[in-house]
Amino acid sequence: MSLSRSLPQSKEALLKSYRTRLKDDVKSMLENFEEIVKLSKGEHDTQLSRMTQCEQDTYEMHVRAANIVRAGESLMKLVSDIKQYLILNDFPSVNEAITHNSKVFRSKQAECDQKLMSLRDDMAADLYDLEEEYYSSINK
Amino acid sequence: MSYSVNISVEAPTENQIQEITYDGTEIYQPPLTLSESLAKYAQKIDFSKTSEVEIKKEESNEDSKSDTDSKDAFQSSLWPWDSVRNKLRNTLQEVCVLADVLAIAKDKRYLVLDPVQQEPLETKPMVQIYARKKALAGAASVLLAGSEKMKNSQNEAARSRTTLDFHIELLRLRQNWRLKKVSNTIIGDLSYRTTGSKYLQTGTFEVTKAEDEEKVTSPPSSPLPGGPAPVKPTSALRVSIPSELQGVAYIEVLCQKDQEDLCTANLTLLGSGPPPSNPDMHWQQKLEAAQNVLFCKELFNQLAKEAVQLQAPIPHMVVGNQIMATVLPGIQLIIALRHSTSSDKKQQNPPPSKSDHDHVLEHSLHQLLREVHHKNTHHPFPHPATGPLGPSKKRMLAGPTAADRYELLEMTKTQTLLEQIVQQAQHFIMRMRTEYVLDTIAKEVKDPLITSHWNTLNSPTQSCVKIHISTHGYDAVCRTPLIIHVGEKSLKCICRDGKVMNMSYEPQELRDLIFCHINQHQILAVQALAKTMGWQALGNSNHLGTGTVEPLGNASSCLLSSPTGDRIIAVRCEPSDTQVSVAHSPRQDFFPSRLVTERKWEHLGGQFRDVRLDKMEGRNFLHKMELLMASLTSSS
Repeated sequence: MSLSRSLPQSKEALLKSYRTRLKDDVKSMLENFEEIVKLSKGEHDTQLSRMTQCEQDTYEMHVRAANIVRAGESLMKLVSDIKQYLILNDFPSVNEAITHNSKVFRSKQAECDQKLMSLRDDMAADLYDLEEEYYSSINK
Repeated sequence: MSYSVNISVEAPTENQIQEITYDGTEIYQPPLTLSESLAKYAQKIDFSKTSEVEIKKEESNEDSKSDTDSKDAFQSSLWPWDSVRNKLRNTLQEVCVLADVLAIAKDKRYLVLDPVQQEPLETKPMVQIYARKKALAGAASVLLAGSEKMKNSQNEAARSRTTLDFHIELLRLRQNWRLKKVSNTIIGDLSYRTTGSKYLQTGTFEVTKAEDEEKVTSPPSSPLPGGPAPVKPTSALRVSIPSELQGVAYIEVLCQKDQEDLCTANLTLLGSGPPPSNPDMHWQQKLEAAQNVLFCKELFNQLAKEAVQLQAPIPHMVVGNQIMATVLPGIQLIIALRHSTSSDKKQQNPPPSKSDHDHVLEHSLHQLLREVHHKNTHHPFPHPATGPLGPSKKRMLAGPTAADRYELLEMTKTQTLLEQIVQQAQHFIMRMRTEYVLDTIAKEVKDPLITSHWNTLNSPTQSCVKIHISTHGYDAVCRTPLIIHVGEKSLKCICRDGKVMNMSYEPQELRDLIFCHINQHQILAVQALAKTMGWQALGNSNHLGTGTVEPLGNASSCLLSSPTGDRIIAVRCEPSDTQVSVAHSPRQDFFPSRLVTERKWEHLGGQFRDVRLDKMEGRNFLHKMELLMASLTSSS
């Protein structure tokens, strides 16, 4: 809780909206399901004729089922949103990645330096031999 | 309803009389025009009747008269609005009455609407149950279809891209690049702003989900300006880069001498050639290319700004994407920004045959801008808590140490990138010239060996070469070391005796100096050799004033005498050739003459005779001299 209090206003609002979305979607699923069950009981006293009532019930059930599906997909989207939010705002892990990257690059740099130095040493040694050979040869 | 027989009434053929004047003449009315008569007939039509007639007609297909009537009615109703108005009025009345009744009935005080008792329809309970069952089945199928869809999308995501989930890609992207969410889009930043760049152009890019993903849980993606991108099977993520950062850019550095390239340097993406810029490139490469474009642009921008501001003796030119600066007389440094977008990349491909690809110049350009970036963010410690950031440590100390105006002015002087790169180019050319001069001399002059050792450690604007002049086989006898510091526009040579010679950028000066030192070396070597042979050096001169005038410098000479003093060797070294002469002290061809009569004068020494060195045996000059001295010593 102390963590969320330290967050800026907008972030907190965003988190709250995530929470409400979750609750709303779950609630919507539950309510729609309850309504379907209620409808299937079929005890209403209406002025409509039976057939009309049946049609209306059928239609309502369909709509409510679609609502449940929608709520489910909305939950999926919520999950994806939360993932995205976490990825984009997870600064400790980003820092870790940066540290790791810099470490990798530093080690690569050291490796390159080392290779260059060894190459230089090799070349210097070879140059010694070559010079010796050249200056003591008949050509010069 | 049936009608009686229709009677058609015809109008009289003659016109109606309008007026009869007193003299008995009749004034007729003018005959009605077509439209007037139409209007007259239309007024006679009863609309309620015609509508009934129409209904009738539809039911029983009556004769066509009513049809024409109704047609007439519709057409004529355009003009005589009277009947139409009446109809509207009636309608309004009825609607008002209905509204009143409804308003009263709503109150439920004065009027109650009772449902008309209908005959209750008999429905069997089984039918109702079936209906319910069907309804439930429908709802269940909707639910199943929805869940199936979700399951499918999940399965497909798990199957086809086991590792390349959008969020995993996003996480990787986040680990390497700066991202933030602005309303519904994810915006990234590839500029060097965080590392201290002050370049104004923004390097923002947009991250979207690839289009081929199932849109089940996709985040809302805004339409891309580049149109629908082709399907990318490799990545679930797509980055869209602003058009000015697309393509490939590099900075080309050319050292030109009268249209002849001395060297080129291409600053491109590190470690790779022109990367392919096809749209389904991986985002990492795409972003790196874009960042490189941004970097090159910033670098060029900075250089161009400096080129305009700097006041060089020969002003720098900035034309289009090219900066031209004069490095040394006759040699220009051309820095060009080459930016090829993906469309015209093929044509603009740089000719790969540019031979001298100078990695040093390329690297130093990189380094210079990075250094500027670094300086922008890393201020020297300690910072004063309330002071401004930015002034150098030296300047902060200027107060306590009471620096004067001159010192402060000195502190404000900073070298711009262009100046630095020009200096480096100058040094590069100086170094190249020095190398060339030394190599050609070493090739031309065989006798004293000239060996040059370049220091492996040097700075971009200074390097050092050590030259040894020695003779093969006589290294221990004499060697002449020289050290040449190669600077930006000048050379500094430290000679064997500690003299310091400063030279300009002209390679001829260095050449002269080396030749002069070769002569001196020969003379000194001969003297050192003479000492070991027991001969005496009678005298030497590095700059002989006599003899033929040399095109370069002066000749050097020395005079040696044998241990017994009866032989004298004279050596004269000049850049073109070396002359050796020998004289016998008791001259063999002494004949007393009238002037010199006494025999003692024969010890004065005789005529010098040239030694033909090229006919002598010996590997080199010193060897020949040794043999010569040895032979002269033994014969005495």
